[in-house]
This record gives sequence, C-alpha cells and structure tokens, in this order.
Amino acid sequence: MADSLELAFALNNAAPEQIWDVIVVGGGPAGATAALYLARADLKTLVIDRGLTAGALGLTGRIANYPGVPEEISGAELLYRMRQQAERFGATFLQDKVQSVDLESDPKLVFANTGTYSARVAVIATGSMGRSQRVKGEDELLGRGVSYCATCDGAFFRGQEVAVAGNTDEAIEEALFLTRFASRVHFLCPTPQLKAPEHLVHELTAQPNVKLYLGATLREILGTDQVTGVRVNLRSEGEIVLPVSGVFVYLQGGRPITDFLGGQLPLSETGCLQVDAEFRTALPGVYAVGDVLCNHIKQAVVAAAEGASAAMSIEKVLRRRKQIAVDWSK
Amino acid sequence: MSLLDDRTRQEVQKALTAMTEPVKLVLFTQGEFGSLECEYCRETRQLAEEVAALSDKLTLEVRYFSKDIEAAQALGVDKIPAIAVLRDGKAPHDFGVRLFGIPSGYEFGTFVQSILLVSHAKHDLSPHTLEQLAQLKQPVHIQVFVTPTCPYCPRAVLLAFRLAVASPLVRADMVEAIEFPHLSSRYQVHGVPRTVINEVIHIEGAVPEGLLMEELMQVNDEAQMQRLRELHRST
Ligand SMILES: Cc1cc2nc3c(=O)[nH]c(=O)nc-3n(C[C@H](O)[C@H](O)[C@H](O)COP(=O)(O)OP(=O)(O)OC[C@H]3O[C@@H](n4cnc5c(N)ncnc54)[C@H](O)[C@@H]3O)c2cc1C
Repeated sequence: MADSLELAFALNNAAPEQIWDVIVVGGGPAGATAALYLARADLKTLVIDRGLTAGALGLTGRIANYPGVPEEISGAELLYRMRQQAERFGATFLQDKVQSVDLESDPKLVFANTGTYSARVAVIATGSMGRSQRVKGEDELLGRGVSYCATCDGAFFRGQEVAVAGNTDEAIEEALFLTRFASRVHFLCPTPQLKAPEHLVHELTAQPNVKLYLGATLREILGTDQVTGVRVNLRSEGEIVLPVSGVFVYLQGGRPITDFLGGQLPLSETGCLQVDAEFRTALPGVYAVGDVLCNHIKQAVVAAAEGASAAMSIEKVLRRRKQIAVDWSK
Repeated sequence: MSLLDDRTRQEVQKALTAMTEPVKLVLFTQGEFGSLECEYCRETRQLAEEVAALSDKLTLEVRYFSKDIEAAQALGVDKIPAIAVLRDGKAPHDFGVRLFGIPSGYEFGTFVQSILLVSHAKHDLSPHTLEQLAQLKQPVHIQVFVTPTCPYCPRAVLLAFRLAVASPLVRADMVEAIEFPHLSSRYQVHGVPRTVINEVIHIEGAVPEGLLMEELMQVNDEAQMQRLRELHRST
C-alpha cells in the first residue's frame, strides 16, 4: 500500500523569504486588472489563481460586450490576454489555490498549496462561483468517503470505484490524480460540455479507467457510516445509482468565495465582502474587488474597473501620496 | 544519494538557526535494508541523519524497536518508523511530540517546525486556550492522521504539537495514514487531516484553535466520553 508515498523533501511550507508589495488572490478580470495597474506602478505584485477556467469569466464560452474586443472570443481567451498584459508590466502569476490567510499579521500571510507567501497589501478578488447548497448526504459523510482533496485522500481509495463531480480544470486534474489509485473514476460533469482547455479534456478521456458522464447532476451521496454510492440524474437517461466508495466534489455555484478567509473579514448577510469607496475592507491593507462584493453589476468590464480603482488607491497608500496619481506617460 | 537537495539543505540549515535550546531526535527503526517490517525505516533514518547534520544544536539517537523495548515504552512508541522530538541540553524535557511514519512531502516542513517548536517552546496559543488547558484533569492523547500530499495537514499537526508544548498533560502524534493501515481502519480514516483525541473524539479537517479546544475539552466530561465510547463500539 505504501508504494504510493511521494518522497519529496522540499521545505515548501516554511516561512516565506520574499515579501511582495501586493498579493492578489484570484486572477479573474478584477484581479488581473488590479495586477496590471499595480505592476505598471512598479509594485512587486503576485497573483495567485486556481486556474484559467475556474472563475466566471474563464468559463464563459463567448464574450461579446467587452469594449474594444469586437471579435467573438471566449472568456478564457480574453482573460489570458489580460494576464499577459499584466505580465508584460512585471506582474507574476502563480497557478495555485489559496487555502487560508492571516490578514492581521504584518506582513500579511497567504497560505497556498505550494507554499506561504507574504505581502504588505492583500487584494481579495476570488469572484462568486462558490457553492451555496450541499448535496444530500455530503455533510454527514465528509471524511467517510466525501472529500474535496484528491491529492490528500486519493491513496485511501486504492482499487476502489470513485466519483468526481465538477467540470473545471481543477476537477479534471484531481480526477487524473485519482486514476493512479482508483479502479474506476466516474466523472460527473454537470454541464453538457467540460469547461477546461482541450488538452486536459483529451487527457481525461484517454484514461482507460475514467468514465465520463456529460449533463450529470449529483443528487445524493448514499451511505450511513461510509459512502456506498451516488444517485445521479443523467440528462439523457434519467436517474442512476453508481456504487462508489469515494466522492470528490468540485462543483461551483453563485456564492462569493470567502471560505479561505476564516472569518477574518466581516461579511454581509448574503455572504459578500464589504468595502468603502476605495475598495478597502475593515482591515488595514486589505482590499476586495469584483464579484466577491456582489453589490454591483456582474460584468467583466465592471470587475476590471474595480481592479483598476483599487490598484490606484493601493499605490497611493504604499507610496504615501495624499491623492491618487494617474500616470499617463508610461 | 542524499534525500535533501542543496537548496532544501540550505533552507533547513537557515531555519534551524532559530533554535535556542538543543534538541534530541530519538528515532526508532528496525528491519532496514529491504525487510518488509518497516517499509520507510531506512528513508526516515537517512532523513533524520541529514537533518541532524544541519545544526550543532541537534542530535540524533537511533534505537531498534525490537531490542530497545524499554526505551520504546518509556517514550510511548508502539509503531515504526517513529521520531520522538525531545528538548535536550541542561534541562532536558519531553513535551510529548512524536512523528510516526516518514515525514515526507508537506510533512517535511512539519518535521522542521517541530524541532524549532521543541527548541524554543513558543507555542503562541491564545490566553483562552491556555486557561482551558489549565483545567484539564486527565492526560490527552492527540493523533493527527496525515498523508504527505495533503497541504492542509501540517496546520492540524502543528496545532496539536503546540498544545503538547503548552500542557504537560497533552501528547501529540503525527501519524502517516498510508503507512499504518490498521490504524486508519481502526479510526475509519478515509480523509485527512483527521484528528483523534483519546480514541473517541474525531475531528475532520484543519480546524481553528478555538474549535479544536472545544472538542478537546470534552475529555473532562466523563459521561460524555462514555457516550462517545459506546457510539464508537456500535459503529
Ligand atoms: C456564465 C456566465 C456568463 C457571463 N457572461 C458575461 C458576458 O458576456 N459579459 C460580461 O461582461 N460578463 C459576463 N459574466 C460576468 C463576469 O464573468 C463576471 O462579472 C466577472 O468574471 C467577475 O470577475 P471577478 O474577477 O470578480 O471573478 P471571476 O471571473 O470569477 O474570477 C475569480 C478568480 O478567482 C480565482 N479563485 C477563486 N478562489 C480562489 C482561491 N481560493 N485561490 C486562488 N484563486 C481563486 C478563480 O480561479 C478565478 O480565476 C458572465 C458570468 C457567467 C457566470
């Protein structure tokens, strides 16, 4: 059993060495635009993002109302261009998931899978694709077959059948990890198509022990002490029950993503972050922009504009200016 | 071939300069060089040797589990590979910090942190937690089950270690779940981190200090512990 252990010995969760000026959590249009402006103002900026197609813009099939982009392009393509532009000004992008933060410490600490990062200022731009509702049986069977981390728990399912629910790059990458252990991975994609780059989709479908179900809604996780199966509604065939002993859930919804904040910032009744006119939260040096605020129009151009505004007020603070200065010349 | 690359060795060396008091690692091993009895004993020993060489405040003592039975019992070591992390020097002390299984992957950082923690004993727990710990009436044994590929696990393990450093009644073990399948099955571990306190209190995930303490303080309530024991017997 133990032949699966990864014998790596990197000190990836020790104290961080480099202190960034700004860390932006979430690289959607809000975060990427903030990074573009921050980097252009010569602030050392790191954006940590889960994946190009993990956010609202990244998974949008076609975007037609972004000013200056008349041709038909996908949300992922538009976002890729925004990120490239920010990188050209010196911003650094890291594909990783932020697990938790310490926003009261100085510098602020951001804990991700690949390590701990620290910065003078933090910008929260995680959007609002979080799940609002759990599937029946999910809470009761957490840790008894229900998991949100295949890399953590995959080895417990050696030779067993498991299900993965989701449709993003993250869900596919986790499913690919599981193919090393599970006898069969039932991939339950809630939409008619997977929302991930082509090469990942190919890699998934090429696995002999993966069965892909498109338009599959996870209705219930079955079992009393332990997961014994899942009840799934298939658009084409109606309801089926799959006998699995593990279920890995990567579904999305419409709630602001704030779980990683661990209650360090006040939320509105509807779970949204709250800011003032300069996008400052209740904690000094912590800003929030984009759909995670949800008190505005949900459009990419609005999210991008908020990123720009926040970046300028951050620059004002870090450079100790009295007023926001717009540099037209660069 | 060494397990640590140059860069990691340098980073660890630098991290260990923060040690104040000396630390002794007591490693239990046996059946090295291919025996099935302890699959990762050889690697764990090599790892401990390489780390111990990085600070003159750190020493390693290697013991054989089947021969040094008394030493194993005295340190509460009942499975291998095991590392007991002990305060050494003028005032030696056992805070009850143990690692069972190889501390690889994300747990390598935990291993280094555990050495620092035992050395300087700065637990950074909240005043409320310390008040609660002062009310403990009986010994508390915390076992945190982990896998090397779990990014959330080090936080859960280090919290348990900090409690052990703060209270003489608390002992805390990191247990690598894949190497000890009998324990994973006894405590029904199918996801990590999973914290097991005095056999019957089970906690999923890396929970904040306050929440863990709320669960932990149930050990003072004998009637509740009895209820939990019965519940576990029936499942
Ligand atoms: C189906 C759909 C169609 C839409 N169509 C249009 C349209 O045609 N035109 C338009 O203008 N707007 C459209 N929108 C709205 C628009 O996409 C959003 O308003 C905009 O993307 C919000 O930007 P954001 O940066 O705040 O969030 P997002 O775009 O959601 O980006 C958030 C980012 O944060 C990352 N993230 C989240 N949690 C973490 C974490 N813990 N660690 C690291 N990274 C994390 C995600 O990976 C993601 O990349 C559409 C939205 C949807 C859902």
